[in-house]
Amino acid sequence: MPRADHGSTGSPTASRRRVLRTVGATGAAGIGLAGCVGRGETGPRTVEVAANTDVKDNLDEIQSKLYEAGLSQDIELDVIAGSASTGARKQQYNRWLSANLETPSLFMMDSGWTIPFIVRDQVANISELRPKLAKDVQEGVFDTFVQSLESRNGDLYGIPLFPTTGSMLYRKDLVKEAGYAPDEEGWATSPLSWKKFSEVTKKTREKTDTQYGYTFQADAYEGLSCCDFKEFTATWGGSYFGARENLFGPVNDRPVTVDSEPVVKATRMVRTFIDGDASNALDSVTGDISPRAVLQWSEEPSRKPFSNGNAVMHRNWPYAVAINGAEDVFGEELGLMPIPYGVKEEDAKFDGYGGSMSSLGGWHICLNPNSPNQEMALEIMEAMTDEDFQLFLFEKLGWLPPRPELFESDRAKEVPVMGRYLKTLKQTVENSVPRPVTVAWPQQSTKIAQKANASFGGEASPKQNMKTLQQQLERIEEASARETEGGQ
Amino acid sequence: MSTDTGSGRSLSLGSPMRWIEDLSDAQFAYLLLAPGLIVFGVVAFWPLFRTFTMSLHADVLYGPERLGAFVGLQNYVELLTGQRNAALPRPFLDLSEPLTSAVTVTIIFTVVSVFFETLLGFGQALVLDQDFTGRRWARVAIILPWAVPIVIQGMIFYLLFQPTVGFLVEPLHQLGLISATPQASSFDSLLIVIVADVWKTSAFMALIILAGLQSIDRSLYDVADVSGASKFERFRTITLPLVLPSVLVAMLFRTIGAMRVYGLIDTVSSCSTVPSLSCLVVQSFSASRYASAATVAFVTAGLIAIVVSVYIIKFADVDGGGGF
Repeated sequence: MPRADHGSTGSPTASRRRVLRTVGATGAAGIGLAGCVGRGETGPRTVEVAANTDVKDNLDEIQSKLYEAGLSQDIELDVIAGSASTGARKQQYNRWLSANLETPSLFMMDSGWTIPFIVRDQVANISELRPKLAKDVQEGVFDTFVQSLESRNGDLYGIPLFPTTGSMLYRKDLVKEAGYAPDEEGWATSPLSWKKFSEVTKKTREKTDTQYGYTFQADAYEGLSCCDFKEFTATWGGSYFGARENLFGPVNDRPVTVDSEPVVKATRMVRTFIDGDASNALDSVTGDISPRAVLQWSEEPSRKPFSNGNAVMHRNWPYAVAINGAEDVFGEELGLMPIPYGVKEEDAKFDGYGGSMSSLGGWHICLNPNSPNQEMALEIMEAMTDEDFQLFLFEKLGWLPPRPELFESDRAKEVPVMGRYLKTLKQTVENSVPRPVTVAWPQQSTKIAQKANASFGGEASPKQNMKTLQQQLERIEEASARETEGGQ
Repeated sequence: MSTDTGSGRSLSLGSPMRWIEDLSDAQFAYLLLAPGLIVFGVVAFWPLFRTFTMSLHADVLYGPERLGAFVGLQNYVELLTGQRNAALPRPFLDLSEPLTSAVTVTIIFTVVSVFFETLLGFGQALVLDQDFTGRRWARVAIILPWAVPIVIQGMIFYLLFQPTVGFLVEPLHQLGLISATPQASSFDSLLIVIVADVWKTSAFMALIILAGLQSIDRSLYDVADVSGASKFERFRTITLPLVLPSVLVAMLFRTIGAMRVYGLIDTVSSCSTVPSLSCLVVQSFSASRYASAATVAFVTAGLIAIVVSVYIIKFADVDGGGGF
């Protein structure tokens, strides 16, 4: 019995062969199946757009308005609604465009991170493809807004969809109760100084027994570095990178100026707002007007107390104006004013700053350079720059028009709630600063947010923190300079 | 006799078939396992290999290329000597600020959370090992946190520690345990993330340890009773040594999980406040520093491998080399 070790399991040869045959057949069937699934094809005249749920939910209406704006009737849009979080959407686009995917053809991109895609040649150059369209856009749209869509040689890489800016919401009923006359003093268009603003806030809060004075966003997140902290520093005539022309680079060939006097002063001011007795308090403003909780608030957590009637002043984006100005919230009692100023423009240390300044956000539409439907996509982009279409977006979705003159139109003024605040909103867009997006920005932004948050909370002195930040930013500049890159 | 017939038949087949027929049982088993092993190998090692090759290139921030020139081990040298810290959202390793540098944060998180999870999980498992009415419901109650999706759990803990929203901040602040704005402080946030992790994963420990407890031969306890052993002696001489291999396996899994923690931090706190190693990977990746991200990822994998081998050696001691 040479193979007795097989024991009583019966003939092994038959079962081995059967096992192999079965496995082979199952595997082949599996591969066959895999080849058949997951190939949803869109029609030849359909252009895919990566956008958000607002666009997806209103697609039919948007499409018919685009036809009215001159888009060929046989081109259809198909919308992929991305994540609600802008960071997640950036990463998704990054993966798609890095893999050279042909679809989607159009991308709705945050003005805060369009430039990194431009420097990587991952979006198409509109100035080359449609010089006339690019020229029209560059002439007709807010200068500050179109800058976040341009390469350093001035070429345009998409079309602007809508800008958003920071502004100050306030409770008109409460400040009137405290004895102020916002309408007569024209707060809507003539900015207050931080000195006056903090006085008003403190007095109103005390007289009306409101829980919080001034609420804003100071969590250690992108929103602090790109926006809130940048506003504070800009209104004091300060900036992260010297004069305004340095906003978009050249990286490592521009000054880093976060330890300069205006930036430190702005930091001390916010520290004072939170804790008036702090050792580094700024004497020129009134302290103790903001809760310590701002240190961990982003937009929504900071908006809730204001909407619930527990705050006098609140810094936020236009979406918060639409919510709080609704008839069942504050209606006409919601006031809106530009961000207060620290020093006047002529006294600013750095060119292009000082006076009331707002941070600029917003979204663009960019074209995938690998798209086989480029012609159709360009036609859609062209239709999207139509004035009637932009006004329609303002009416329907509350998206501010990217062209200054549309703010003056009767149609815009008739839009419920937002129509009331157009003057202030227009002024904030005109006085806005885009965020300093370069390839170094993602890292710099994190460090700025960390140090600003620490200074506001009283971890080390503002001066000390800004000094450390200065060194950190300089090191990031060096590490991100074009010439130190291997292979480039 | 039947085997003779079998081998006679196989002669008429092609040679690959005959080769299969001639394999021993063990060899045949490996042959059948081979396709699976190859797939697993590709799935597990290809990404690791790619990560390693990516980490040998320079970061490129301009132009369409994602990776720059080949630079050998320079990324590793710079990362480990601290020269790369400027380009990372938080330092990789900086002993002067242990609460905001990735290696120390990850180690603190791992050691503290695994310690408490083991302790609580063991306790829960001992309770569940008893016979009592309503044991089924107690099991459900203990396992429930494990079933809560991480994003929802993250939201719960995030809101609990939001001043003006969560009810925990005020009383805990009064007791002096946390600051008034816990999510702005790295120490408090790390504490919250650890509590959240313990809340969720103690159940996992309990389950695996319970399985170990239930496999203990009950007659051993009868012997102990007869020889008059106290409850503690019973535990020390029977329960603990026999359940130890299961505990080690549970700890091993949890340690691996804890060392690559990311999701919980991202939802409860933020990667900027509580920077774990995985946080550095994700953040460098989204800052388009793919090579740096790959370097940190590979180092993280290396650290996990070291910790795992410590467990495996320990396990071999306990179990007499039984493996698992």
